[in-house]
Amino acid sequence: MVYDSDHGPRRVVITGLGAVTSIGLGVTAFLDGLRSGRSGVKPITAFDTTGFAHANGCEVTDFDPAEWIHRVDPAELGRASQFSVAAARMAVEDAGMDLEEFRRRPALVSVGTTDAESRDLDTLVGVQLEDGPEKLPPVMARRAQAGRLSSGIVRELGLTDVEALTIPTACAAGNYAIGSGYDAIREGDVDVALCGGADAVCRKTFTGFYRLGTIAPEVCQPFDKDRKGILTGEGAGILLMESLESAQARGARIYAEVLGYGLNCDAHHPVAPDQDSLARCMEVAHRNAGVKPEDIDFISAHGTGTRANDVTEAGAIRQVFDAPPPTISIKSMIGHSMGAASALASAACALALTEGFIPPTINHRETDPECGLDCVPNEARATELNVVQNNALAFAGNNAVLILGRYREAE
Amino acid sequence: MSELVLSAWSVVSPYGVGSDPFSEGIGAGRSAVDALDREAWPGPFDRCGLVPDFTAAKYVGKKGTRTMDRVTAIAVTAVGRLLASCGDELTARPEQVGLVLGTGSGSVQSIMDFTRDSLAGERPYHVDPACFPNTVMNRAAGQSAIWHGIKGPNTTVAGGWLTGLLALSYAVRLHRGGHCARVLCGAAEEYSTQRAWLEWHGRGADEQSTPLGEGGAVFLMETAADAHAAGRAPLARILATRFGAYAERADAQQALADCVRSAVRRAGVAPEDIRLVAPLGADGKLGALEESGITDALGAAKPEWIRCRPLLGDTSAASTSLQLAAVLATAGESGLGPGEAALVTGIDRDGTVGCAVLGGADPS
Repeated sequence: MVYDSDHGPRRVVITGLGAVTSIGLGVTAFLDGLRSGRSGVKPITAFDTTGFAHANGCEVTDFDPAEWIHRVDPAELGRASQFSVAAARMAVEDAGMDLEEFRRRPALVSVGTTDAESRDLDTLVGVQLEDGPEKLPPVMARRAQAGRLSSGIVRELGLTDVEALTIPTACAAGNYAIGSGYDAIREGDVDVALCGGADAVCRKTFTGFYRLGTIAPEVCQPFDKDRKGILTGEGAGILLMESLESAQARGARIYAEVLGYGLNCDAHHPVAPDQDSLARCMEVAHRNAGVKPEDIDFISAHGTGTRANDVTEAGAIRQVFDAPPPTISIKSMIGHSMGAASALASAACALALTEGFIPPTINHRETDPECGLDCVPNEARATELNVVQNNALAFAGNNAVLILGRYREAE
Repeated sequence: MSELVLSAWSVVSPYGVGSDPFSEGIGAGRSAVDALDREAWPGPFDRCGLVPDFTAAKYVGKKGTRTMDRVTAIAVTAVGRLLASCGDELTARPEQVGLVLGTGSGSVQSIMDFTRDSLAGERPYHVDPACFPNTVMNRAAGQSAIWHGIKGPNTTVAGGWLTGLLALSYAVRLHRGGHCARVLCGAAEEYSTQRAWLEWHGRGADEQSTPLGEGGAVFLMETAADAHAAGRAPLARILATRFGAYAERADAQQALADCVRSAVRRAGVAPEDIRLVAPLGADGKLGALEESGITDALGAAKPEWIRCRPLLGDTSAASTSLQLAAVLATAGESGLGPGEAALVTGIDRDGTVGCAVLGGADPS
């Protein structure tokens, strides 16, 4: 990259957070949940679970779209888009940015997802089986599109000078989306970005993981020797990002600075992760962010709680870190919220940097010696933090590692 | 900043597999929309721009393709043909090659088939686990990387009809951000009975009868220096991408006109330098607003218009990538000439607009 010497790449900071999660709506409730180690687990209600031996999940149960979505008719948005739009509203409010001011700025909207509106597609299959394909409800057929997760935000906020994309890079999509916003602001293409991820619990994905034998019967226990798998979850995390200059000019509170990120692809197996490739992705992220392994104060792991993920991820971490820092998984609290997962984990990292604590890995009894990491079991740990790392892995070997740093005024 | 060029491309289209039949068909203005075999493709449509005789077994091979769905096969084929046309040097450092692929919502057929098995089977978990990855929307990009050993960033992009333009913009930033040395970028869309029903029910009245189409296009993006070093003549420089949004349909024309003006200005070209324009061309009101918006922005310029939609059908997420391929096909084997520019545009029904401006390769 070559820059005009007078206009180096801009620094990028996070100044607003929106969170729709099974442990709380809005940044305050989410923070409280992370700090107190709240669990979002409950029996799934999104679909009829008859015939499954067990069906716990982490659903968002107290969400009223009308509370957050004002300009767009919520019925024109599927559940994932509703989450995405609501979280974007929250992020703008949390950033204290006047909406009129937001609209005047060139913006990027980038939302990651695994399933987009597959919840609607499930419902439409049900209608087909009952009444035939001729009878699909038009509004639902129309809204069941991945692009709606980002264009819904544009419509709700009334943006015009905006580039809006959805990034359906599965379970690492949140980090991909945040990375796209970082690049766009850094290089001066836009002034502000709303980036993150959203997904809704659906039969299709629960069934797929259940069939693979990776759904935990009760709770999610990342890095525990008795871990039994994932719990499917849902929600949205949207981060408002802007240049440091812009944040300073309006006196905004800065949660964290985005230091950089790394992406790569195993190009090896459709579902099984690859340790060496993941290790390389972390190294790329460190290099891009200008940090060394010993600078990382904790790792927010992908940490799904499956046997394969946790051992592979822990192995990759040990490959990169001589002395691995505390490594936690908020999936123990909010389940695997798919495309929202790494976005919500990024939001958690930003809050951790600001508030000075490491979120816990709950449901933890005994650490798997094969993982051998300090997962900050069950209780949050108060500590000063400077640099944190957020891992994300996806089907097809799509890895994304994000590095966030504490922003200090004196720098 | 070193500018990116398009230096190779491949296409799978209703004209057939490969750029030759595509270039010939677009050049002749011959429609590839044909009667649909209603037994093989039940659903609401009787005409379609289908890729003729296309199956994964035929074009990707029999081995390992039992569960490969159509959109994945289209993507794997398009990426494979692009790589084959460039030689081994391109993937000599596979971690330095990125892949950015646009999609609508993955394969809605794969997703809905999987749910159907869960709902209609004897047990709700009687589903084929080998088909589960097909239901995740990064499948086509991921499988293309696995099939061809591409280890750089692998990103799936979705944005309705603008998907191809958004993928292009994302890919430019990915490269500029230092995440890879070269990017393969494009989009793919399949025809399926489920996509057909969703479109049929979801469309507005003024576009309901437009036949669907399918296909995919993938482009090699690299610096001009890298292209020359590899013995490839750049076909076009990527000068600018630009996007915007409108709240009411009536504002779409103005939104696109502003978007095009801004892109042309950023590209540093004069409107009269634009030799080729490839609009999305939706049926009904949006298509008319699009052409008016372009005309407003380009003023007295008299470009040649390439209208893909009547020729290929509504190729949804692949639309703007196929428009870009049509520009390169029309420009010919040596690409856009010095001083020439081209414009690709789109207005999406969800309230967004976008465009890309390409320029002729530097004579050097």
